[in-house]
Amino acid sequence: MDGSEGNYQLVYGGVRMKKLKNHIDELFKDIPSNKETEMVKQEIIENLEEKVFYLMEHGKAEEDAINKAIVEFGDIEELKKELGVKQPVKKNMARLNLEFSFWGSGLIIAFFVFINVYYTPNIIWAIYPIFAILWWPLSMYFVWSRKK
Amino acid sequence: MVRSDIIRGHLDSIILRLILEKDRYGYEISQEISLRTNNRFQIKEATLYAVFQRLEKKELIEAYYGDVSHGGKRKYYCITPLGKAYLKELVSEWMEVKEIINLFMEGLE
Repeated sequence: MDGSEGNYQLVYGGVRMKKLKNHIDELFKDIPSNKETEMVKQEIIENLEEKVFYLMEHGKAEEDAINKAIVEFGDIEELKKELGVKQPVKKNMARLNLEFSFWGSGLIIAFFVFINVYYTPNIIWAIYPIFAILWWPLSMYFVWSRKK
Repeated sequence: MVRSDIIRGHLDSIILRLILEKDRYGYEISQEISLRTNNRFQIKEATLYAVFQRLEKKELIEAYYGDVSHGGKRKYYCITPLGKAYLKELVSEWMEVKEIINLFMEGLE
């Protein structure tokens, strides 16, 4: 008898806790999924469910109990920091931007120099667009050095 | 409720102390904190699991899976010998800090 009753609770609980689970999924969406983060997520869902059951046993309506658990969860940023997300990605972006601007401007400058030398070897005009384009890697260098 | 940023620096001690008494799981710890402080301080779940992560990485606590609750296995934490030593350190440090701060906070009003 006990066994079947427990089973019923399990299935019923599964449907009811959907909202809670969705909320935690939402909070975890920026965190890369791996074995460690999945385990932490499972643990959190597990314990929040227990909290909801506890609140319901003490007279809270199901909806209220779930909402209370969600509201009291707090700021996920702390956990993110502990799980080591975000910081390295940003740093790489600045460096990537710098590299891209470096090679990109290099190619464009080479292109202008070639056109200049090939078609109008007597007039040096390529220096003007080159001067303009150099602002690109320069600004990216500035962004990168500030982030460093 | 007390401002939580003052307590924040001592969450490691609070949680290590609770795990030292006996092996506990997440919700049990947050409940115990509310109970003992008579709801004057409540720990947020996000904070609690961040602390677990930190303590586990420093090998001050260890996790294992215990009995089954509603729908899944509970993850229990126990304190390691390193954790015990660290807690002892934290306690003596706190005694010192308390004395120092009290020099300036007591005897007013």
